[in-house]
Amino acid sequence: MKRAIFGIYAAVTVALMAWGYYQAIYVAPNDAMQGEIFRIIYYHVPSASVAFLFFGISFAGSVCFLAFRGSHPTRAQIADAWALAGAEVGVVFCSVVLVTGPLWGRRAWGMWWTWDARLTTTLLLWLIYVSYLLLRRFAAGPQMQTLAAVLGIFGALDVPIVYMANRWWRTQHPAPVFFGSGDSGMDPSMVGALLWNIAAWMAWGLMVLGIRYYVERKRQKVTEREALEAIGAL
Amino acid sequence: MKKILFQVAGVAALALFVRAAYLVLTAPPDPAFAAANHDAVVARLDHLFRQAAYSITWAIQLGYLAWVGRKWSGVRP
Repeated sequence: MKRAIFGIYAAVTVALMAWGYYQAIYVAPNDAMQGEIFRIIYYHVPSASVAFLFFGISFAGSVCFLAFRGSHPTRAQIADAWALAGAEVGVVFCSVVLVTGPLWGRRAWGMWWTWDARLTTTLLLWLIYVSYLLLRRFAAGPQMQTLAAVLGIFGALDVPIVYMANRWWRTQHPAPVFFGSGDSGMDPSMVGALLWNIAAWMAWGLMVLGIRYYVERKRQKVTEREALEAIGAL
Repeated sequence: MKKILFQVAGVAALALFVRAAYLVLTAPPDPAFAAANHDAVVARLDHLFRQAAYSITWAIQLGYLAWVGRKWSGVRP
């Protein structure tokens, strides 16, 4: 039954991705100033939105891990698995943002990168979560999960700063698409394609997040069983 | 079946990464403003970079999916 539900969800996600691509390439018009290069926004903005959401999930998982680690070991492990999955898939989406952005910048600005507030805080966010993943990969000992949870919480504090960066400061990065000032936003003929792609990438991200969480829980259970076998409890 | 799907994702990711790199590295230089075919070259460059951005996006996503699949296979049942 679970396998059938996953299959249907995966099929719907693939259909959404195809529909999103069709909207981005064939339905949305070219930007009057930027031409075709503008269409990178249909992958760039959804990836940033999903990355923010998943760093939020990692934050919630880290908080729950710290809250439950002394009282409910199983709940703490579940929270830790969500924290890891959220951080890892968040880094993947943030990497997409940091690669597609410079490709757009090279054509629109004539340069790959500039140290403005939006770009710099996004790079910082990516570096914090990469260090989180490196800590989890290479640190050993019983305190590793606790240290990672603390780092995960500090990392998530950068998310609102990234989001607000081009509202608080004058940046080279374009003005916000949604919830910006009066002179920001996009033409209504382009909004549909963007919303479809946000939905598609959200569905894809949740699928990958679910798989990653499942794998991590499986690994935790195997490790737990091996530990119990080692001390002769099984 | 699951293993094959993840392997296909890995190969596709590699191919898309190579495609994106090829598109960017072999793109013609920016044309001079006074060039006769300026608009045509700019449109061609925009098209190549848009294709490269979409390709690299899928390369990263499918590459990660393949990596998770490999990790999944590595966990003993």
